[in-house]
Amino acid sequence: MIVAPSSSPIVPEPIPFSRLVRVEWIKATDTRSARWLLGLVGLTTTALMLVPVLVPTSFEQTQATYLRVAALGLTVLLPVVTILLFTGEWSQRSIMTTFTQEPRRIRVVNAKLAVSMLMGTGGAIFGGAVAAAGLAVVAAAGRDVASDMSVGVVAGYLIFVFLNVLAAVALGALLQNSAAAIAAAFALPATFAVIGSASTFVADWIDMSVWSWILENDWSGHIPQISVTVIIWVAAPLSAGIARTVRRDIG
Amino acid sequence: MITTTALTKRYGDTPVVRDVSLRCEPGTITGFLGANGAGKSTTMKMIVGLVRPDHGVANIGGRPFHELPNPTRVVGMLLDASAMHPGRTGRSTLSIAARMAGVRLDRVDRLLDLVGLTDAADKRVGTYSLGMRQRLGIAQALVGDPETLILDEPANGLDPEGIAWMRRLLRGFADRGGTVLLSSHLLHEVQATVDHLVVIADGAVVSSGRLDDLLASSSILVRSPEPAALAAALRAAHIEFVAGPDDALTVDVDGGRVTPELLAGVARDHQVLLTELRRSDTNGLEQLFFSLTAANAAAPQEVAS
Repeated sequence: MIVAPSSSPIVPEPIPFSRLVRVEWIKATDTRSARWLLGLVGLTTTALMLVPVLVPTSFEQTQATYLRVAALGLTVLLPVVTILLFTGEWSQRSIMTTFTQEPRRIRVVNAKLAVSMLMGTGGAIFGGAVAAAGLAVVAAAGRDVASDMSVGVVAGYLIFVFLNVLAAVALGALLQNSAAAIAAAFALPATFAVIGSASTFVADWIDMSVWSWILENDWSGHIPQISVTVIIWVAAPLSAGIARTVRRDIG
Repeated sequence: MITTTALTKRYGDTPVVRDVSLRCEPGTITGFLGANGAGKSTTMKMIVGLVRPDHGVANIGGRPFHELPNPTRVVGMLLDASAMHPGRTGRSTLSIAARMAGVRLDRVDRLLDLVGLTDAADKRVGTYSLGMRQRLGIAQALVGDPETLILDEPANGLDPEGIAWMRRLLRGFADRGGTVLLSSHLLHEVQATVDHLVVIADGAVVSSGRLDDLLASSSILVRSPEPAALAAALRAAHIEFVAGPDDALTVDVDGGRVTPELLAGVARDHQVLLTELRRSDTNGLEQLFFSLTAANAAAPQEVAS
């Protein structure tokens, strides 16, 4: 009988973490709006790749530069995807259902973090493919491109993409509101870039553009600045956001 | 089995829930009755761990909700039917719930059929009426084959046929040993569905017990075109009452001391005209509800409990 209360007092198994990740992945990808947004991430990355391909003077023609262009394309909209992963359920209020399905909220947060990193990985692989395609096109056209690819370049690319994803996740977890978090994700870096143009302290220690050193694989002498900005944009807001998520009353 | 002990919650200086203790037994349907804003939803959210109580404890099957390893296998919940992603179809909404609970996905189709949403299963929830969302919410509550149901205003948005359907569903669930706690501000809905009743006003339980007992021990309704004169007469006779709508006064029977005959005598002695005098029966719960909630807000000392 489908609505019979279960008579057996069997204690159910805890929900495995893999199931939580799988469900969060489905929730992040099974709506029309989510698929549109993912499509747009691909489109922006591809469109931006056309710039160094079509306008050789716009960027230095090296393999590493093409990969950097892919990173810049990815980080326009991929952060929005991961913000929504953390804010969407608050805006739709389906968080109420999610946190009754798994009341150990930290596990849900961790599953969402895992999905964010999966999306970051998927995005990075896609970006790498777009960069490779761009390089293949210009090679076919007979253009000379310096080959400067290295493990360090790839590592810098991956770290840059992941940090941008995590900074977005941190804003989403902290603000728990889609509109506010997306607005902040675009407005805050822009604001600090302007302040940074007037203050070298802000430019070197606070502004997120410090991470371009990571993308350029230019670590030497920049580790302290990079560490401080990671704390400001990722570690601190993410910890505060997780604490708020775990404690917040859902009325 | 749901038990709460002295659940209390304040938001700032405003007490929302005060010392609410409930006990919902297997095989019964408990109605949680109160006006909007009386604290029903907050109490339910404290039971399922969405709101942290300032004091008090809540257990389901003897364990706090957050200690249940896979809660939807034990307790099905419908807390807010509008809190669903509008871009997801009914079927995928239920599939997600089924995956989380770890039940077979073919249960989704059977539940869609049970709640009458088979034809709308692949439409997006954003296109559903409130009644359809309510049905989907009930299907979601049942997905984990729970032994307990907690439903906040489940009749909201359902047409009379839908309400009758839900009443049969819940009665069947309880008759097979399930525990149901449902809230409502619709008196007639609760009266026809529940066996136990907990009435809440201003965050505190003002009455609770078996429905039959509450109705039996209720009151006498007396109506006069001169309500002020009647009130004065009753006060002079030391008879407790509360004012109801349309000049009606609800008089507590005071353990049987007060009878319609006694009231008629009081009215005669004070030369007050009566237009209605009867034991509250068919509308008993309505009178009870009104007197308890209104009296609690206006004149707590006149509540006989």
